[in-house]
Amino acid sequence: MINISRRRSLLLLTLVALALASILLFLYFKSSSDQTMTYTESRDLIRQIKQQNSLWENEILKARVALTHNYDPLVSPMNEMNRLWARFDAIESGHGRSDSAQWNEAHEGFLQAMQEKTRLVEQFKSHNALLRNSLAFLPTAEDDIQEQLANLADLDKLQLQNITTDTYDLLLSALEFAQVTSDDRAADIEVGLNKLKINAQRLPPAFEAPIKIMSNHISLIAREQPLVNQLLESIENIPVAERLDTLTTMLDRDQQRVDQVDRQYHFYLLLFSVLLMLSLVWLAIRLIGSFAEINRVNTALQTANDALEQRVEERTRELKNAQSELLDAARQAGMAEIATNVLHNVGNVLNSVNISSDLIARKLRSSKTQGLGKAMQLINEHPHDLGAFLSEDAKGKLLPGYLNQLVGAIAQEQQEMIDELNQMNKSVDHIKDIVATQQSYAGANSMTEPLFINELLEDALRMNAGALTRHHVTVVKEYAEVPQVMGDKHRLLLILINLISNAKYAMSDLSNRPRTMTLAVRIVDDNFLEISVRDDGEGIAPENMTRIFAHGFTTRKEGHGFGLHSCALAAIEMNGHLTAHSDGPGKGALFTLQIPLISVTENA
Amino acid sequence: MNLFRPAMTLLLCGLCAGASADPLDEPLKPLPAVPQQDARRVELGRRLFHEPRLSINNTLSCASCHQLDKNGADSRSLSLGFDGKPVAVNTPTVFNASLNFRQFWDGRVETLEEQSNVVITSPHEMGSDWSTVVERIANDADYRRDFAATYPDGVTKTNIQQALASFERTLLTPDSRFDQYLLGNTDILTLDEKYGYQRFKEYGCIACHQGVNIGGNMFQKFGVFGDYIADRGNPTVADQGRFNVTGDEVDRAVFKVPSLRNVAITAPYFHDGSAPTLERAVDVMFQYQLGRMPSEEDKRLIMLFLTTLTGQREDKP
Repeated sequence: MINISRRRSLLLLTLVALALASILLFLYFKSSSDQTMTYTESRDLIRQIKQQNSLWENEILKARVALTHNYDPLVSPMNEMNRLWARFDAIESGHGRSDSAQWNEAHEGFLQAMQEKTRLVEQFKSHNALLRNSLAFLPTAEDDIQEQLANLADLDKLQLQNITTDTYDLLLSALEFAQVTSDDRAADIEVGLNKLKINAQRLPPAFEAPIKIMSNHISLIAREQPLVNQLLESIENIPVAERLDTLTTMLDRDQQRVDQVDRQYHFYLLLFSVLLMLSLVWLAIRLIGSFAEINRVNTALQTANDALEQRVEERTRELKNAQSELLDAARQAGMAEIATNVLHNVGNVLNSVNISSDLIARKLRSSKTQGLGKAMQLINEHPHDLGAFLSEDAKGKLLPGYLNQLVGAIAQEQQEMIDELNQMNKSVDHIKDIVATQQSYAGANSMTEPLFINELLEDALRMNAGALTRHHVTVVKEYAEVPQVMGDKHRLLLILINLISNAKYAMSDLSNRPRTMTLAVRIVDDNFLEISVRDDGEGIAPENMTRIFAHGFTTRKEGHGFGLHSCALAAIEMNGHLTAHSDGPGKGALFTLQIPLISVTENA
Repeated sequence: MNLFRPAMTLLLCGLCAGASADPLDEPLKPLPAVPQQDARRVELGRRLFHEPRLSINNTLSCASCHQLDKNGADSRSLSLGFDGKPVAVNTPTVFNASLNFRQFWDGRVETLEEQSNVVITSPHEMGSDWSTVVERIANDADYRRDFAATYPDGVTKTNIQQALASFERTLLTPDSRFDQYLLGNTDILTLDEKYGYQRFKEYGCIACHQGVNIGGNMFQKFGVFGDYIADRGNPTVADQGRFNVTGDEVDRAVFKVPSLRNVAITAPYFHDGSAPTLERAVDVMFQYQLGRMPSEEDKRLIMLFLTTLTGQREDKP
């Protein structure tokens, strides 16, 4: 959850940063458009075109006054202008100019003016070349005539004079016409030409050619001069410069607008920068605040941590105390448990001791030794005649026989009591063992020793022998062949005695069938030694199966629920386990003890 | 007279100065240097110039009529088109053509690039069309490779034109004796030739034939004094000259003034190739353009001068 919201806020932050950056870039590019650079270049190109245009016109005038005979300068400005215009066009058309009708108009206007001017200049060149040539040649043509006239001897002097003057006047008229082209002068030339024609008729045929040449050239001047003047005027009127000015004005206006926009965007940029600056300051303040907050929280956390540590220490100490108390309690409880266990077992064994002592006491009470006392009393009554008494008295005669019987009876009695005492000794030994076991519990050591399981079972049976006999329990033994093993004799014995005692008890209410208990020993899987005790007594209710080994569970009125619990514990302490099985109430029970099989040879 | 005097002064100055290195200030200008160009494009242009695949039936290259080993033209009055029929006007020399202010006799295009376009697509000259030409050139692996090497967009109409024009701009004929004279080596001309130049100016030839290309920078009416075409007879559409381009009546029989560079070796003369010899051409010029009759001596001198305008071709020994 936290992760997702963190990622989302990171994404948001990135987006905001990107948005701000793009706004900044947008404003930056908007405010520093390359329009200005284009504008400068375009203005410069227009200026250059205008310059070339002036140069062109200058060259035209130079050609007009025949300062130069080279017409290349009249071509190159035009080419240069076209070249510059192409550049200008390339720059400006890249700016969406062609969208503006006004611009297109100005554009077309220039091109048309330029085309028209070019056309007129080409015509001017042609006509001016002819005109200048004729004007240049005219004096020579006139000279040719005058020279011939001077050599003419056979003509009337006056007439010759007139012809000379006429020719000269015509030359002057033509030259004047070239300077001041007017209809008067044109008329003069017309008159002069007519005179020359008339004069030619008076002159010899040799004059025909030079006069014709001169007339032709003067006609050409008369024809071409107004044409050239007109062309010059037209050229002058071609508004190339004006068109360029229009373009310049439009460029200026556009530039102003762009400047306006630029300023606007500059302002926006400034505004945006201020906003960014303010937000930065705000962020810085927030950051400082956050730092203070973090520090404060850190300190608080530190304090809380210290307090917490202290409390934890306290609690730990308390816990330790509690634990040691608990341990003590547990130890005490354990000791009590063990004591209960010991007492229980001792009680079991004491039962046997009690029975034995009862038996001995009863035997002693009804002992035949009293008969020996009576026999001795009879003998003592006849101290002097003992022989006679023994042989003659009726009672005396019976006495030896009686004594013989008594000896036999006493011997039997003695034997029985020895047996019973032996049994009692064994029980007492067991009690000693139990006490020793309790002591070994305290050390929590298991004492293993080599033992024969079958013997152990016999011991256990013997310990319960009195009770089994009393309750008429038939013991069936199903002992398999088991080698000598290493085992904890006391724990095993404890378990077996308990199980046997339980089995016996389970069958105590059984009256309708013989009470049979089956003891079995076998080896399972070569690893486990299995000892089972089966009875066909009251069985175990299913609901009790789980609780049967629990401490304090019992079904007996006088029981304390310790036997099976301690047995199970003992089994576990031997790394084995004790399990119970019953098909249900009244169907008997089977208790099975499994312990690891450690054969003596293996151990040795 | 007003022109004769300064010219004479100049001439005398030139004589006195001898082989001084200072260029002369004359209405005629020396040949400029070949412009700096991409050598690969020039080389492509050279190959294309000799490329018959530019004509529809693979018979004509530019060089078929503009023979570079001769005078940059052929010696016919009218060259033959791809179909073997004569074309409308005389083939002008390709030498120094880049110095002309416009191309063709009637000046209908301004650039060499456009010139090649007109010739290639003319139904009387090469008779081809650009898709065919571009396809043929592009199908040639060598061309394709070399075009790609110098033109980013490879073989295109524009690039073919550009390459051709690049090559043609190199076709200048430097080192004519007159150019050397203009550049200050005044001893290179004989006295007669110098007189010829002086007569050339004096008679007004320079009214039209002046500048860098000694002509080629203006239009002029052919037949100022008298109608040459009528006198010649059999007028054709081509005889209308610039009228065919502008439709303007004043442009009737107006032609581009041709360059006089290499004039001595570029016979026949005029747009119709009607003057088989230089002398005839000079005569026609005097009669119809200048309206004067020169003395035999002056004509001889002028023709002597005209021979000094023959330049050198770099690839010629």
